[in-house]
Amino acid sequence: MSDMRNGVSPEPLLEVRRLTAGFDAGPVLFGIDLEVAPSELVALVGANGAGKSTLLGVLSGLVRATSGSISLAGEDVTNARPEVLVRKGVAHVPQGRRLFGTMSVEKNLLLGAYLRRDGEIRGDLVRVLDLFPALKDKLSREAGTLSGGEQQMVAIGRGLMARPKLLMVDELSLGLAPKVVDHLIEVIQQINREGTALILVEQDVLVALDAANRAYVLENGRVALSGKAADVKEDPGVRRAYLGL
Amino acid sequence: MADFVQLVVLGLLAGGVYVAVGIGFGLVWGVLNIVNLAHGALVIIGGYITWQLFSAFHIDPFLSLPVDAVALFVLGYTLQRGVINRIIRAPLLFTFLLTFGLNLVIINVLLLMFGSDFRSVTPSYSGQGLELGNVVVPYTRLASLGVAILTAAALAFVLNRTRIGLAINAISADRDAAQLVGIDLRHAYAMTYGLGAACAGVAGGLIAMIQAITPTAGEPYTLQAFVVVILGGLGRVSATVVGGLAFGLVEAFGQSIPGSGSVFANAIAFGLMVLVLVTRPQGLMGRLR
Ligand SMILES: Nc1ncnc2c1ncn2[C@@H]1O[C@H](COP(=O)(O)OP(=O)(O)OP(=O)(O)O)[C@@H](O)[C@H]1O
Ligand SMILES: [Mg+2]
Repeated sequence: MSDMRNGVSPEPLLEVRRLTAGFDAGPVLFGIDLEVAPSELVALVGANGAGKSTLLGVLSGLVRATSGSISLAGEDVTNARPEVLVRKGVAHVPQGRRLFGTMSVEKNLLLGAYLRRDGEIRGDLVRVLDLFPALKDKLSREAGTLSGGEQQMVAIGRGLMARPKLLMVDELSLGLAPKVVDHLIEVIQQINREGTALILVEQDVLVALDAANRAYVLENGRVALSGKAADVKEDPGVRRAYLGL
Repeated sequence: MADFVQLVVLGLLAGGVYVAVGIGFGLVWGVLNIVNLAHGALVIIGGYITWQLFSAFHIDPFLSLPVDAVALFVLGYTLQRGVINRIIRAPLLFTFLLTFGLNLVIINVLLLMFGSDFRSVTPSYSGQGLELGNVVVPYTRLASLGVAILTAAALAFVLNRTRIGLAINAISADRDAAQLVGIDLRHAYAMTYGLGAACAGVAGGLIAMIQAITPTAGEPYTLQAFVVVILGGLGRVSATVVGGLAFGLVEAFGQSIPGSGSVFANAIAFGLMVLVLVTRPQGLMGRLR
């Protein structure tokens, strides 16, 4: 597949250069280059085990980079600790939602604002509930008892409560009904329009490419293809491998 | 009947100490997944602080309890931050080895500092007590029970009503998710171990009032804390309170059986633990997680 990089703004919010990372069992990412402009919606797609979640883990400080660099708004944040990255504006909605299942929905959302000391936390809670009205009457419910779609709403809401500059959502659509996915994608796009940069990791390649401005295709820990989402969608290799066309 | 009431009272009083010993042990076990074999040694450090302040400066042992708590908190925080955090993702066996080693180090430092003599704390009121039938219940025992319950309540308050408590609950529920909302794992772990050690320190101060201590006097308490936490169930302070009081009651009734000594009472208590493990693995009060 060819390189189709374009449409990247000159002043990226996130800039990843030649990033490698892995686990005890061996390396997983081999020299990833990736950029996200402020208020851009970037899709990150690829097969099972390609390394998408590992990449998000490195970006949020859960997984160590073995080489390469990550910079955020021009500042080097390679291997910064997760709490430092949250403070600098990176929020990661992990695969499988990972809610605090026995805590209330409200506590889950407020935990998203754990590092904030400003007086606008309650106001942001109201804003999250406006984005996800379905949660309004479920604030005192245990998060683990909600439906999958509602749990994903709480997970995204928890990420938003940190007031991120960059929101990374891993497997938004996994296990959810198409109608629910459509709704969540709309909300994600609204969040993005209001100025938050987004990385959307998706198994459902079509959903991701339709929603995003740009896309990266990850194969075996390498960027196999990147470019405008519309162009990636027309790439013959992508159509064959991921869209079944 | 009078005998029965008397045994219940004696059992609850003994249980107070087990509550104090158990809550810190249970916290560290539940949140950090460390079965802390150094717990009894931390308890005894608290005992020596109370003894030292009493014997050198005539400070009332109850007044030195906050000193025990603060000193052990600082020690616990430092130990976790500097040593134990390094192997937190290691298998359980490593934490066994590490805390066992820590236990030996603490005992030997105490031996160097205080020798192996029995030390006891005997304030002027230590002989006085409440007459209950033909038994005198020492006031120190009664106050100890009160202090133990208060300590448990304070710990529950910290865990359920404060910001650091929320962080501790979050890391205990999901370590990665907690980090993703910005909780500093190393700090939250160290706070957890520090709080557990602080409770151990208070327990040690109480124990110094009811028995003579030596550097190795803490070892039975590690084992008893283990039983207490299993009896009550992991994951809630209130469960450990129930476990501690239950352990005290079982011990009191065990000892009352004619011809039985404390060894027999211990056997009954451990038997009960096995019974609980088999029939109610989550403990008397615990939630399955
Ligand atoms: N915590 C971990 N420890 C060891 N290996 C891991 C860990 N997480 C992921 N891996 C390995 O890293 C590789 C990439 O996994 P990763 O989860 O990043 O892929 P992914 O693209 O997100 O896949 P999926 O679509 O299944 O979520 C896999 O080979 C996986 O086995
Ligand atoms: Mg994944």
